[in-house]
Amino acid sequence: MTAPRMMALRAFLASDFIYRFRRDKVALVSFLVLLAFVLAGLLAPVLAPFDPYDPASIDIMNSEIPPVWTDGATDPQFLLGTDAQGRDMLSTILYGTRISLTIGIFAVMLQMVLGISIGLLSGYVGGRVDAFFMRLADIQLSLSTLMVAIVALAVFQAAFGTELYSDLAIFMLIMVIGIAEWPQYARTIRASVLAEKHKEYVDAARVIGLGPGRIMVRHVLPNTLSPLLVISTVQVANAIISEAALSFLGLGMPVTKPSLGSLINSGFEFIFSGSWWITLIPSVVLVVLILTINLLGDWLRDVLNPKLYKG
Amino acid sequence: MALLDVSNLNVEFPTRHGTLHALRDVSFTLDKGERLGIVGESGAGKSLAAFAIINLLSKPGRISGGTITFEGQDLTAMDTDALRSIRGNRISMIFQDPMMTLNPVLTIGTQMVETLQAHRRISHAEAKRIAIAKLREVTIPSPEERFDSYPHELSGGMRQRVVIAIALLTDPSIIIADEPTTALDVTIQAEIMALMLDLCETHDVGLILITHDLGVVSEVTQRVNVMYAGRVIETGSTRDIIDAPKHPYTRGLIAALPQQNEAAQRLNQIPGSMPSLDGIPPGCAFNPRCPHVGERCRREIPALRALGEQQVACHSAEEVAALAGNGGSAS
Amino acid sequence: MTGPRETLVGITDVVKHFAGGGNVLKREKRKVHAVNGVTLAIRQGESFCLVGESGCGKSTLARTVIGLNAPTAGTITYRGQRIDDLTPKAMAPYRRRMQMVFQNPYASLNPRMTVQTILEEPIRFHFPRLSRAEVKAKVEEVMLSVGNDPHWGSRYPHEFSGGQRQRISIARALMVDPEFVVADEPISALDVSIQAQVLNVMMDARDQRDLTYLFITHDLSVVEHFGSRVGVMYLGTVCELAETKALFANPRHPYTQILLAAIPRLDASGFRHTRLAGEVPTAMDLPSGCVFHPRCPHANARCKAEIPALKDQPDGTAIACHGIEEGRI
Repeated sequence: MTAPRMMALRAFLASDFIYRFRRDKVALVSFLVLLAFVLAGLLAPVLAPFDPYDPASIDIMNSEIPPVWTDGATDPQFLLGTDAQGRDMLSTILYGTRISLTIGIFAVMLQMVLGISIGLLSGYVGGRVDAFFMRLADIQLSLSTLMVAIVALAVFQAAFGTELYSDLAIFMLIMVIGIAEWPQYARTIRASVLAEKHKEYVDAARVIGLGPGRIMVRHVLPNTLSPLLVISTVQVANAIISEAALSFLGLGMPVTKPSLGSLINSGFEFIFSGSWWITLIPSVVLVVLILTINLLGDWLRDVLNPKLYKG
Repeated sequence: MALLDVSNLNVEFPTRHGTLHALRDVSFTLDKGERLGIVGESGAGKSLAAFAIINLLSKPGRISGGTITFEGQDLTAMDTDALRSIRGNRISMIFQDPMMTLNPVLTIGTQMVETLQAHRRISHAEAKRIAIAKLREVTIPSPEERFDSYPHELSGGMRQRVVIAIALLTDPSIIIADEPTTALDVTIQAEIMALMLDLCETHDVGLILITHDLGVVSEVTQRVNVMYAGRVIETGSTRDIIDAPKHPYTRGLIAALPQQNEAAQRLNQIPGSMPSLDGIPPGCAFNPRCPHVGERCRREIPALRALGEQQVACHSAEEVAALAGNGGSAS
Repeated sequence: MTGPRETLVGITDVVKHFAGGGNVLKREKRKVHAVNGVTLAIRQGESFCLVGESGCGKSTLARTVIGLNAPTAGTITYRGQRIDDLTPKAMAPYRRRMQMVFQNPYASLNPRMTVQTILEEPIRFHFPRLSRAEVKAKVEEVMLSVGNDPHWGSRYPHEFSGGQRQRISIARALMVDPEFVVADEPISALDVSIQAQVLNVMMDARDQRDLTYLFITHDLSVVEHFGSRVGVMYLGTVCELAETKALFANPRHPYTQILLAAIPRLDASGFRHTRLAGEVPTAMDLPSGCVFHPRCPHANARCKAEIPALKDQPDGTAIACHGIEEGRI
């Protein structure tokens, strides 16, 4: 089994895809930066000098210490300074990145599962099923994601109290962002399915006598997946932004388990009192993260452009 | 001197796996009013040869050697502006898909007037008069009305007629037609081909007809180049080549046509398929499929040489020519 | 091909309309009259060719016969059993006996599947009891019989040339040992030298397996070679039905004559044959009466008003033409 795998790997490494990737500096740098983010998020418990979730390690006396390179720095162990509660900014940002990425990726996975199933069914079956889901998608798209999320989260917070909410916040955010954005996937998949389902290989499968379910999953679906890679990168970025926006509005992650968004929010009130780093550093991290994902997505779209790329 | 003289034309495509030689040492001439066929299967380089003449090669393809002399000027040495005054003016092009030429959002009249005014300083009214005259010439019914039609309002055959009318607008001396009727039905093809033939004769226009269809070549052209894997492998008068092919590929191609075979019998087939540009075998490119292959064919690329009335690039051409009379099997 | 054989596939008064075109500006929905009342009987063991130009409904008819389209009206029978209204489950045994080869070898093989998977799919579906080894042996046998290397299995369709793909496509159709194969323009996307190869493979399969073909083509010169009987279609109707030899020796219907004359020939020059008048009508707005009358050199008032029926002639052919019926042509 390993020999063919090695062959496949070698073929992949020699492919046009990898060749073009290596030649494109923007893509390469974006990828490396993103990889660094993902590793930082994954290894946050190992890398971070402090555990921001552990109240025992936090000393309120250490609050609002500026980063080490500034004049007011008092304690060299806080590389990027501390926030209003005395938490180490570097550690908090590492954990915040971890949470932001987790929410982004899982929300997109939920979007994908919903979007792909609905899009596939809609495109292949057509008729009333198609009309129903596509009108549903239209309605959903006419309400902005944030609006839906704000309403849903606010209602949840009011109904179950802040206590329970802060425990379940991460799941709630994944659910809300995941459900609010399925139409993107559904529409993309449906468009591909409509193009694929009239191709002769689908007719050939029907002539064999295969049922619609099997044709959809085994024949049509694998041929509609390449555009998904492109929108997925953009959607991860969007999900992270949505989460940050919700957290900034106080409807996302609680201050005790901050994401990048809630960090930005928590420092916002201190920005005019001179403690700019609490807001600015996580903002820069967020911007760089989103930028690298989008740059990578742009590059992927160019490479996988169905007009240029014949698979 | 010939109107068009293509000499040792080479076209290559640099890729990251190395340079692909798409055309190798292609030479041919076209006299005034002559009709030349370039015939070959997909990948033979027949369209490329035509596109190279008017420098319409798609990137990164480029002419890497040879000369193209048209009315005494070398087209390969010309700058873009000078070339533009020839392309679409002195040399016109007809593509397989009429929509390559026709812009779907403009009426055919607008497009014809624009084409004319791009190459000549004439008034709109004068341009319109010429355009309608050309539409009439390609037997489009009620040309005054059709002048204001959009391409999508016409059938495939009508569109191709309009394209022919556009090609004739500037009274070119050569028309290059790349598979002009392949997308059309046989009855429409017959009409369009008959029309092109008429027009070329009445206007004394040279025609380079690129096609895969030996039947069309036989009906329309006077001379023919047979191409295989980027080279001209046989050239001569159409009648000679169809009646007595001397290259085993040409012979095999003709023998494989259903109309050349006994009804309800197995067809004579050429085994294998044409190599892709990155897999051309050493020696004669046709050697793996050739029934007359010898040791020399695997080593040495045969040059085009005169044999009787035609020229052929084959080491065993005499052997093949001897078979020509008795209609034996080529496979 | 000796003696009269039993009817394998019966096509009776088949009509197929599609909800058609129309655009944003023109609201009215127009119907595409793709097939308008075709009756044919395909006999066991014959290679029945349907020939006609684009838009004549030949492919639609083929797809209706194989069950990819439901007919708007009319019936399809297989060995006397009506099959056009069967449930998918009841249809299953017929699926195994009827297979199809498609026009475009670049689209008819799933690009994401290996050749082995493509070939195994039909046999695993219809014979789930077969062991791995039996399936493999079958794939090998069929691949060899169509002149392919049986070791191609682990490769993907895009690694093969058009001719090789079309032979893989034929192999897929033969995997379940069908009796009846519908071939929809199987060679028209291929190069000339490859057409002969594929046609030979199909003829070999016919001889070895006693196949019955419904062969769809626009190329009459292929028909002369491949077909035992021919139906000529024009705008959704059959205008002439004859034994191949009879049709080529003596084409009767004016359209058949024009179609035959239009074939570019190696021994001719100048395309100086009969020319057709007028535009080709589309299946959206069919002409009244005989659909061919706007292009027919022999049309008269009756042709414009009355649709001619396909009538058996004394020589065994069947022709739908008022002119022939009246002895004018």
